[in-house]
Amino acid sequence: MESIIAYGIAILAAPLFPGFILKVKAFIAGKKGPPLLIKYYTLAKLLRKGSVYSTSTSCLFKMGPTVSLAAAVMALLFVPLAGVAPVFSFHGDVIAVFYVMGLGRFFTILAALDTASPFEGMGAAREAFFSMLAEASLFMVMMLFYRLNGALSFSGYFSGENPITMTGPNGSLLLLVIVSLFMILLTENSRVPVDDPMTHLELTMIHEVMILDHSGPDLALIEIGAFCKLLFYSIFITHLLIPAKSLDGFLYGMVFVAVVGAIYVAIGIIESIMARLKMNLVPKYILTSFALASFAAILTTMGLV
Amino acid sequence: METFFVALGLLLVGGIFPLLTSRFFRFMKTGYICATIAGCGFGLCAAAIPLRNPEILSVSWPWLHLFTLSFSLDSLSAIFLIPIFFICPLAALYSYHYMAKVQQSGRTAVSLFFFTVLIISMALVATAGNIITFALSWEIMSLSSFFLVMYEYQREATRQAGYLYFIFAQAGAMLIFAAFAVAYSHTGSFSFADFAGIPAQAKMIVFFLALIGFGSKAGIFPVHIWLPHAHPAAPSHISAVMSGVMIKMGIYGIIRMYSLLQVTDLVFGQSVLFFGMISGLLGIVYALSKRDLKKLLAYSSVENIGIILIGAGTGMIGVYSGNPVMAGFGFAGSLLHVLNHSLFKTLMFLGAGAVLQQTKSRHIDMMGGLIKRMPITGKSCVAGAVSISGLPPFNGFISEFMIYFAAFQGLGLPGPTSILMMLAIVSLALIGGLAVTCFTKVIGIAFLGEPRGEKAASASECGCTMTVPMVIMAASCLFIGIVPAPFINTVFLGLRDIHGIAAVSPDTIAGLAGNLALFSRLFLGIVVLSMILRRVCYINKEVAAGPTWGCGFTRPTVRMQYTGASYSMSVAEFFRPFVRMNSVYSGIKKIFPGTTTYETQVEDIAEISLSQGIVGPLLKVLGKLRWIQHGNIQLYFGYIILTIIVMLFFI
Repeated sequence: MESIIAYGIAILAAPLFPGFILKVKAFIAGKKGPPLLIKYYTLAKLLRKGSVYSTSTSCLFKMGPTVSLAAAVMALLFVPLAGVAPVFSFHGDVIAVFYVMGLGRFFTILAALDTASPFEGMGAAREAFFSMLAEASLFMVMMLFYRLNGALSFSGYFSGENPITMTGPNGSLLLLVIVSLFMILLTENSRVPVDDPMTHLELTMIHEVMILDHSGPDLALIEIGAFCKLLFYSIFITHLLIPAKSLDGFLYGMVFVAVVGAIYVAIGIIESIMARLKMNLVPKYILTSFALASFAAILTTMGLV
Repeated sequence: METFFVALGLLLVGGIFPLLTSRFFRFMKTGYICATIAGCGFGLCAAAIPLRNPEILSVSWPWLHLFTLSFSLDSLSAIFLIPIFFICPLAALYSYHYMAKVQQSGRTAVSLFFFTVLIISMALVATAGNIITFALSWEIMSLSSFFLVMYEYQREATRQAGYLYFIFAQAGAMLIFAAFAVAYSHTGSFSFADFAGIPAQAKMIVFFLALIGFGSKAGIFPVHIWLPHAHPAAPSHISAVMSGVMIKMGIYGIIRMYSLLQVTDLVFGQSVLFFGMISGLLGIVYALSKRDLKKLLAYSSVENIGIILIGAGTGMIGVYSGNPVMAGFGFAGSLLHVLNHSLFKTLMFLGAGAVLQQTKSRHIDMMGGLIKRMPITGKSCVAGAVSISGLPPFNGFISEFMIYFAAFQGLGLPGPTSILMMLAIVSLALIGGLAVTCFTKVIGIAFLGEPRGEKAASASECGCTMTVPMVIMAASCLFIGIVPAPFINTVFLGLRDIHGIAAVSPDTIAGLAGNLALFSRLFLGIVVLSMILRRVCYINKEVAAGPTWGCGFTRPTVRMQYTGASYSMSVAEFFRPFVRMNSVYSGIKKIFPGTTTYETQVEDIAEISLSQGIVGPLLKVLGKLRWIQHGNIQLYFGYIILTIIVMLFFI
């Protein structure tokens, strides 16, 4: 029961955090910025509207938003939230969750190609390419975690005899992993330096250009999915940063939420101080995260750690 | 065993039927399909027997006073019989509307006959109990499929592809027979059961000869070259069965040899795993960069064979290291992937055939918008594409998950082996990501968007006998994904007769199956919920239709859409050392440029090295001996007499 409530809160709060990013960016740019609840207002606005569908599209175009939303919502079911056990968990759920997110991407790409727009095709090709590389990094991280505590599930990683945290015996290794995961977070959620959600030029977009033709409630569903996905990755990293069960119930929850918020702030800072990479450098960027993770994983096989 | 031979008898009767009735075109096809479905039904019943009871059925007859033909049906054979007897009748049904030209009724009859011969010989390969029986069935299988590929023999490309296939099939068979011969020289008997007793050194030779021989049938990189040529040349339901079922006989051979030789050394697992990784990665990279839809699917078969071998290799390493869970799940995952691949690859080939029939083109960049014109084909292919990419809640995910499960077990092994397992997992992850790219390309470019050619614009749904098999296969893909437990249990039963695999506790299997079932159903539930949510959001909303947003450009044409080549270019470039890309660009020269052309082609490095490294020099040397063939018949008689005289000295 506790898990379901925590899950519900997480879904409801998912649109809140991106507000932090906007605030931080505005602050650094010396502006006042939109209100913290801006994403809720946007969603409410979108949900009130109708939609225009391109005559080129078919039924798959309408499946894009629902499947990508379902995938992101599904992923959150399997992560422990602020010390509360996840709603579902089994040995191997990590693989399943990342594959489900792959399915969400599959349908987003199909919806983009369904519009017959060259721009959306371009975005789709980039998304497919970059996330393929990011997936390899994620599996490298999984293998490292498996070697560290033999678990293959989110709840197994962060509970049990030797949970994986920065403060544990393998903290130094995890530093590499955290950097690597943060880079994957930026990639998978289309943030700077891989993609710029604020850009206005379709040629340079990745995620935004794929959903150009979605409007109204369809767009709202996609946005909710994107918020959940970002929250999912942030929670994953947060668990690595703070030790589980170091504090009791409520206080732990507060610290947890604060760290999640801090990750969003970090994203905001990065977006303010960095420009996006040239498109041909992005694969190298993602491979850097892969290299970090595999370096850490190989260290464990040498028996050094 | 009687049921099995009744099934084969029925199939044979069905196969001869078209030869006698080829004048009555429809009657012939209907009779053929009914007999094939009945025969395969019996065949499935026969396959169920060894899975139900732990007994090995066997029968043998003396032949030519010298040899015995012996057949045995154990649970491993049964696992491979299931795709044969389930997929082939569906492909036969498909052929009713696919082979619709009355003028070609004679040729159709012959093709149907050879199709039956292929089904029977595959079933015999899977049940062969000694060297002689295996060799005979194997040759009949290769030859009948060669004749099936040659259906459109008037076309130059078909003949070339057919001969290429013939050479590869015979070269592969030669290696297999060599392996058998090595074993025979040690045992002195034709029986498979004696293989276990030969010395370790000989086992090594036998296994690796057989691995390459069977690999050339299965399509392991670099001996996969015939696949991308033979599959596009053959009629679609034939390429479907060849790719979905026949190449699995190569896998059967590898696993059977492993079991017969009772080898548990690390090197066997390592090399199978290595070939698996290479085939998987390069197969999907080439698939991604092909424009010919059937060629793309052929390369995707190479990829899936790679996944199957990764599973089998992981299982072998599990056997070596005495880890029953790793061994069991590795082999079981690979066997389940055999079943799954036979479903979704056949589905995709049948879909490609339907598209080919309607658009008269295999070129993916000439298609587009087909899902609106061919909704049933299109939606079935979407299901097939999701399954083949290994995504939940479809069946491909179940088998890939089992292989991952086994491979993660291997991470605990010491030093180099665990690094090998890491590589295996990373390749599986990369293969998964690349497969998503490849099959979003197939669906997105061929079925979605706007038609790129007139033929694609005027396409319409094909006949019901073509759509029904596709729908059945798509539904089976989803069914295995949602109710995986019986299938996982079945493949574990198939492991019973593989030597060296200790039983995995039923609780582990049931737990994993239950979790996967829960996961798939939960996800399906959430998708349905979010669809309902979407519906609710659209109550009383204004929904309009308009053109696609052209980002400010107001006169878009269908030619401006992303093409398959542009979609896959960046990924293909990423793998540049392995993928040779040739571009021809005419350039813009004058102020008012004329027509410009741009063409890219991706070449297979295995093919280039074969033609430049082996075939070229060989032709050069042999060309010098061409004077022997002068066409003068008297001198040919002279050769014969000379040979006989020389031979006499040796007697």
